[in-house]
Parts: sequence; structure tokens; C-alpha cells
Amino acid sequence: MAQLNYRTINIDVLDPESSINFPMETLLPPTLPAPTTSGAAASIVNQVRQLLRSGDNEGALRYVLETAPLGGDDRAKEVHLAAVVEVLQGIRQGEMSRVLESVCTGEGGSERADCLMKYLYKGMAAPAPSSAAQSPRMSPQSTGFSQIQARNLGEGGGGQQMSVLLNWHEKLVEVAGTGSIVRVMTDRRTV
Amino acid sequence: MSQSLRPYLLAVRSSLTAALAISNFASQTSERHNVPEIEAATSPELLLNPLTISRNENERVLIEPSVNSVRVSIRIKQADEIEHILVHKFTRFLTQRAESFFILRRKPVKGYDISFLITNFHTEQMLKHKLVDFIIQLYVSSALPIYRLINERLTTSSSDSMEEVDKEISEMKLFLNARARFVAESFLTPFD
Repeated sequence: MAQLNYRTINIDVLDPESSINFPMETLLPPTLPAPTTSGAAASIVNQVRQLLRSGDNEGALRYVLETAPLGGDDRAKEVHLAAVVEVLQGIRQGEMSRVLESVCTGEGGSERADCLMKYLYKGMAAPAPSSAAQSPRMSPQSTGFSQIQARNLGEGGGGQQMSVLLNWHEKLVEVAGTGSIVRVMTDRRTV
Repeated sequence: MSQSLRPYLLAVRSSLTAALAISNFASQTSERHNVPEIEAATSPELLLNPLTISRNENERVLIEPSVNSVRVSIRIKQADEIEHILVHKFTRFLTQRAESFFILRRKPVKGYDISFLITNFHTEQMLKHKLVDFIIQLYVSSALPIYRLINERLTTSSSDSMEEVDKEISEMKLFLNARARFVAESFLTPFD
């Protein structure tokens, strides 16, 4: 305790009135559905797979976007993200525009578009923690470069999945516009 | 490979355009201060959800928006050790001259090669779409020559920055290999 350096303590954190202790949960709408468990998410994934098997890609996309676990725990969100990516990869490039048009119109269409945009960004952000853990990037020290440390070189994994997500992103921006991206940034109901 | 570059750059472009909707916002913690909230991080409600656009694991752009500033970090493709060194030299050259670039951050965010910090004062003084063009062009300049061809078709403006970095790095790599071969040949000639 005596070795504690009091200058390094951020005293703002200890002050309940400080802006850093802003109650973030007050930004969530009160109508948020109850948290989904990973078990419930898994049952949704099964239904999505059934829809995919029956060839109803459009219905599967519509269903998976409407059942997004906005209030779920992290595990449920991961399971659901995998399902969304599976649906997106299952739809051929030629069908993208047609499917998007029909999914993003009608009642609740703009919500589905925003939800899909959230999943596209989440899908692209997903492999970051694992790759960072596998290949810790060396910090540029004054000594130069270490040749010993193995680095994760090459094209990198996940290129195929990313290009699918990027193609969807391009099409979705055409349909839903830039406003959809702004809503992804500002919406605290993350998927 | 070039197939996925066009949607990647388009995604970066539309995300940047969306993220650059920023306005003047004085600090809530210290009176008469006006700081970029994304760097100060003193009020969590002012920070928006970060966006990641990635082409693969080694090529990604991180956009961290806040109410009055946006931090854009780029990870440039590095296929081998030579490219890693060249990227490091190139970004070091740029960041040492950061004040000439106005929006360049002196130190990249951890895990990325080069970072930009755009505040509301920059968007007030400069044209927003030109700021977006500048970042895209810097990136592509380090790409393979084919990237530039695609970009010229993509954006009609002659001055384009994400693209330039990629192209220049591949050129530097060729020069480096040619020079290494020349040095090795002249060194080994007496032993021939």
C-alpha cells in the first residue's frame, strides 16, 4: 500500500458527480426486450438453418434480423452473429440486390436495414481480438526491428468472409443510405 | 484480389462520410476548454460506437467517432518483413511532419500503422469530401499499381491518400530488391 503512487490515480473515477461516471444505461430505451440467453439464440439459429435448407434465403435474412438479441449477453450475440454471417454467405451475389430491396422495404424495413448494417460492421470487427492475441505487434522501439519474433504475415485469414460483408455493405449503402451508418454509430442498442 | 478493393474503399468512404458529421462541443470537465472528446475520453456518453472496416486480418480501418472529433486508424497491408520495414519508415516519415498534414496524429493507435485525428475545426476549415479523398488516396498510394488503376476509375479526382501508400511501398520494395542484388553481385565477383 505504501508503494502506491497516488499521482497515477484518476480521481475523477472516484467522484460520483464526475462526467466519466455517466450512467450509460440511461441511454438505452425502456422498451428494450429482455436479455436473450445463448440457449435461446441457439434455438433461433436452428430455425434459421431450417429456413436456409428449405431455400428461403430472403425469409431467413428477414427472420434473423428481426430476432437480433439487442439486449442479450455477449455469448448470445456471438451465436447470432455467426447465424447472420451464415445467411449472408448463403445468398449469391446476383440475388443480393433483390433480397435487400424486399427485406428493407415494408413495415420495419428501415429497422432491418440498420440491424443488418450493425451486423456488417460487427462481422468485420470480429476477428480483431483473436488476431491481436495470436500475433502481438511489436512496438516500434528505438532499437529497430526484432527479426526473431514471428509475425502474422501474408494476406491474412478471413479474406473470403470480409469480401462477402464488403459486397453487402456496398449494396446496403445504396439501398439505405449514409444515414444507416450514422444510426449504427449512435445507437446504444448494440447487436 | 483487386476485386475486393473497390467495395473496401467504397465502405471506407461511406463510413468516413457518415462519421465526419461532427460539431463544436466544449469540454464538460474543464471550463473554457475545447478538447477532442475521443482523445480525452472523459465523458463516455459523447463517444459513439467505433466502426471497423476490414478487407482481411492485415488490412483494416478503425473509425472511432465522438461528438466533436473522429479518430481514423489504418492498418496497411504488410506481406513480409521488407514491407513491414518499408511501412514503418513511410509512416514515420509522415508522422514526423504531422503538423504539415493538419489531421495526422503523431502516434498511431495501438495495432494500427497510421492514425488521423479530425476535429470539428478541421471540418469547418476544409471540405469534408476532400478530407475523405485525402485519407483514401494516402492508403492506395501504397498499393500495387493495379490498385491505382481501379482507383482512377473509382474517383475521377486526380489527387487521391490511402491508395498512394500501397503503391509507393510496392515500388520501394522493387528498388530495394534490385539494389540488394546489385550489392550481392559486386560483393561476390572476387570469389567468382
